[in-house]
Amino acid sequence: MSVSVREALGAFKPAAIAVGIALAAYIAGWVAYEVFFPGTAPVQPIEFSHVIHAGDYQIDCQYCHIYAARSTTAGVPAVEKCMGCHKVIATDKPEIQKLTDYWNSRQAIPWIKVHDLADFVYFSHKRHVQAEVACQTCHGEVQTMARIERVAPLSMKWCVGCHEEREVENGRDCWTCHK
Amino acid sequence: MSLIKDLFTNWSVWRRPGYFESFDYSWGMVIDLDRCTGCEACVVACTAENNLPIVGEKRFSENREIKWIRIERYWSGEYPNAKLSFIPMLCQHCDQAPCEIACPVSATYHNQDGLNTQIYNRCIGTRTCAVYCPYEVRFFNWFSYTWDAPLEQQLNPDVTVREKGVMEKCTFCIQRIREAKDHAKDDGRRRLREGDIQPACAQACPTKAIVFGDRNDPDSQVAQMASDARGYTVLKELNTSPSIVYLRRVDQEHV
Amino acid sequence: MARKKNPGSKLSRREFLALVGTGTSVMAGAGFLTAKFSRRPVEQLIPYVVPPEDYIPGVAAYYNTVCNLCPAGCGITVRIREGRAKKIEGNPAHPVSQGGTCALGQSGLQVLYNPDRLQTPVTRRGERGTGDFHTVGWNSALTTVASHLDKLRLANRGAGVGLLTGDIRGHLDDLLIQFLGLMGSGRYLQYAFTNPTNLYSANAASFDTAQLPYYDIANSDFLLSFGADFLGMWVSPVSYSRAYGDFRQGRREGEDKGPRRQRGQLVQIEPRMSLTGANADIWVPAVPGTEGALALGIAHIIAGGAGRFAAALAEFDPPRVAEISGVEASTIERLARSFGDAKAPLAIGGGGAAAGTNGVPNLVAINLLNHLAGNIGREGGVVFNPKPAFGRTGMQRHGSYLDLLAFVEEIADVDDGVLIIAGTNPLYDFPGDERLVRALQRIPLVVGLSSFMDETMQYADIVLPVNSYLEGWGDDAPEPGVGMRVASISQPVVAPLYDTMDVGDVFIRLAQRMDRDMQRAMPWPDFHAYLRNAWRRMYDKRRDKLDYVDFDAFWTAVLEAGVWGETRRASQRNEFHAQVDYEPPVHAGNDVDYPWYFQPFVSQGFFDGRGANLPWQQELPDPMTSIVYGSWIELNPRTANELGVDEGDILEVSSPAGSLRAPVWITQGIRPDTVAMPIGQGHTSFGRYATGRGANPLSILSAQVDSRTGAFAWGATRVNLTPTGERIRFVKTGGWSRTLDRQILGPRSGETQEGGDHG
Repeated sequence: MSVSVREALGAFKPAAIAVGIALAAYIAGWVAYEVFFPGTAPVQPIEFSHVIHAGDYQIDCQYCHIYAARSTTAGVPAVEKCMGCHKVIATDKPEIQKLTDYWNSRQAIPWIKVHDLADFVYFSHKRHVQAEVACQTCHGEVQTMARIERVAPLSMKWCVGCHEEREVENGRDCWTCHK
Repeated sequence: MSLIKDLFTNWSVWRRPGYFESFDYSWGMVIDLDRCTGCEACVVACTAENNLPIVGEKRFSENREIKWIRIERYWSGEYPNAKLSFIPMLCQHCDQAPCEIACPVSATYHNQDGLNTQIYNRCIGTRTCAVYCPYEVRFFNWFSYTWDAPLEQQLNPDVTVREKGVMEKCTFCIQRIREAKDHAKDDGRRRLREGDIQPACAQACPTKAIVFGDRNDPDSQVAQMASDARGYTVLKELNTSPSIVYLRRVDQEHV
Repeated sequence: MARKKNPGSKLSRREFLALVGTGTSVMAGAGFLTAKFSRRPVEQLIPYVVPPEDYIPGVAAYYNTVCNLCPAGCGITVRIREGRAKKIEGNPAHPVSQGGTCALGQSGLQVLYNPDRLQTPVTRRGERGTGDFHTVGWNSALTTVASHLDKLRLANRGAGVGLLTGDIRGHLDDLLIQFLGLMGSGRYLQYAFTNPTNLYSANAASFDTAQLPYYDIANSDFLLSFGADFLGMWVSPVSYSRAYGDFRQGRREGEDKGPRRQRGQLVQIEPRMSLTGANADIWVPAVPGTEGALALGIAHIIAGGAGRFAAALAEFDPPRVAEISGVEASTIERLARSFGDAKAPLAIGGGGAAAGTNGVPNLVAINLLNHLAGNIGREGGVVFNPKPAFGRTGMQRHGSYLDLLAFVEEIADVDDGVLIIAGTNPLYDFPGDERLVRALQRIPLVVGLSSFMDETMQYADIVLPVNSYLEGWGDDAPEPGVGMRVASISQPVVAPLYDTMDVGDVFIRLAQRMDRDMQRAMPWPDFHAYLRNAWRRMYDKRRDKLDYVDFDAFWTAVLEAGVWGETRRASQRNEFHAQVDYEPPVHAGNDVDYPWYFQPFVSQGFFDGRGANLPWQQELPDPMTSIVYGSWIELNPRTANELGVDEGDILEVSSPAGSLRAPVWITQGIRPDTVAMPIGQGHTSFGRYATGRGANPLSILSAQVDSRTGAFAWGATRVNLTPTGERIRFVKTGGWSRTLDRQILGPRSGETQEGGDHG
């Protein structure tokens, strides 16, 4: 059975519109997820507030994140570090009681990683800290965050942009960051 | 528009003679075949250092083994005058690398230290580079290989574990170069010195057949040994300009 | 939305809208879920509960210890990240390894992290050898053993307890002697397949010193090696390889660095080309077992009819030696001339030359060459080692094959005998040995100490899992020595992964569970304390000569270095005074029914079989053949033609003692009257990577022994070969092994390349 071109195109148009709507809906669904569940500020096992510690009490970043100037990783404070103060400070607060429970059962607190880079990326905190890049440059104004939120895109373009601006030695070499 | 302009500028710059002399370091090796015994300590050392997968008997039988450095064996003559020669073959880090031209996505390129490098997550697995490489030192991950627990506890955290679909090859242990530069910066020294960095193969070699260093440093062993009378480069007729100079095994059959 | 209704469709507007609505929501949902599941999984940041004091995460730490994968005792440095072992390197300060490692040593990490490691004590449930074990606790296991031992000891029948181990040196050896002594037992034997028993004995006979000397290969200029695969896995491969590099092309570092005035020449004499043979300038394929005659033939020419040995050497003229050894008279003359003319000639012997029934006489003949060369105690020659820093020498510790049989049978003859086995696998070395198995079966209690359930452990009643060498303490005075006194320290580089302890700890804890006298005699909390104590005593004796504030400072320094000792070589000039004669080799099997000599060889990948459960070693191409994951038998092309077989054809290899099947590998590097097979595969119990793979050449060796020492003569069996009609395709690396005139091994003949041509 033969069909004329005009007829065929006529049949094509509704199908095209259907596909177009489907695609638009798909994209809308995706975008909705990204907008409402961006994942940049996950809920942590303990509601640790940097506003109190880094903001009000002005505790230095490296008091807790002790490896930042010495290693690739900055480190998250050991439970013992928290207990150093919280053995006596604010022991009535429920979040501190959660902390104490972890300490008493000698369990590590399973923090959710907010600033996560891909496994093939090499990032050295030591080099950046020693180059006097302020923590806030990449981590945002942490001292104002009740819950840590990732405000930087941490994309390659963003990293390379800064490397170019500051004319980092071998900064544009792929292997500086890729491992 | 500027992307295309960049592309052409970089291309012409890269191909210009003398381009590499302007670099800071120029990593190279000298391998003395009169010292090499074919013991394969380098092969296992590289496997351990760089998270090389254990492909298993089946995949090995399909010629899909991954050994960034291998000992090649060449027989000549017949019993009782048979002769067997060994030569360690690894990525030559050619200054005029055929593989760099081949890659359609520039996943392999020549860095400022004279190394031919591979970016795993940029690679899309066309395997053109492996076809172009005359030394057959590029290896494709046909599968995502695993390790029986707890063998994976040994994996080196400074080296990516490669997944299915990407090419890999010797990097001259670039993670060690990076670490050495890191330490040099900590010490306030800017330049690496002789002996600061040894790739896994050179460090393991019990006869010290493999010497690694900076060819731009006139005092380095590689710079000095490269002009040895026994020196040659493999497959020189192909004009790839390898960074590895081999020293021919001495023929001293006549007692 | 309005849509022109397709003339063919039957949908109403309502139905249509419903369809669109559903479709849209489904697609939106799909988009939503795709976004959700394509997001990188959330990672956790796990802090420490209490931070470690001794390392920074992200920064590597390095610990020095000693490799345990062969008896050489190379010092190694292990790179640790976050408490995990990542990489093994040679310890540059250690005089044995000098910064190098061998392929097997690099795989030590796979011993530590092997999936088949024993994690808890087990006791046997079913019959011995059926592999039926079940887990028990340490307390229960140790108490069971201790109560057995206690009962015997208190009844004055402690002599029925025997200890069979591999090569154990250092203070652990002392502890074991002490324990057994307290039991009233002197039954302690160290047996390992590769123990160079004949070499010790030959040196005792020749030079009055029962040791493995230091061969100063680096300073020699002509090295005549009779069967010693010293670049392969013979005795101390890393140390010899290090010296070999210098032997060829001079030192790489130090004051006298630079090329040598005279490049050293290497002649390798062996029936099958080993790795060392491949690197030799001249490879001489002599008839297996006749190396002694060849040595005497060379000695005959060098002595020139004069001197003490003239009479004894008179009959070893070149034509006669040529007839015996299959080496042409002209070659013998050339070798003798070069050896005699060299400034620093050196002769060494081992491997097949020492593995016949005439091993000791062969080695004595080779020692004579060194005497005639005048190289004893000289640079480039045979340097005898001073008495070790501590501990017994190999001669005092090792037993021969006959000793092993007698040992096991004696304990079997005792009522209530107990045999403790640690670090040795005789049932793999002698799989068909009925005497051994029968004796073992008769012993009421067999206790095994091991990291793996190997063939011998299958016959144990209780198996106690011990630390791998990377998790434990120890010390060592390496043999062969390096010409000066050296003491090495082994320390744990990681915390033990499982519920295991050191061999020394087991015995200390056994003592603590026995009667008061035992407890008092072994009061240390653990082996680490015992070791520290032993070193403290050594320190106290030399305190004035050592420049340390106190013992703690000294101990810390030793742990940091991994090694401690002297730096100057001794130079004893021992006299040679053995009887010199040639004893023809005796082979099992006549040459009609068993036409070929059978030469098993210690393999680069697996050593004596202990490396077979390491996947890196299984996947390591054999240096000579490039074969992986399997076994093979090497044939000369003429042999293959005779049999009508090609590469991969499976042969039945039969000896008077048994038979096995192996595929053919054709090589130019072997005599036509000889066949060879690598040792290491053919395990029946050794974990997932090794069990049931390949064939074990040791299984068809006849029980021949050396006529002087009773050492197992693994080179004294003849075989017959029968094609089976089956074949396999080898798994090996690809490619041609011919250069085809490409510039691979150097410029094409007649051309020169300018050196350093790049860029």
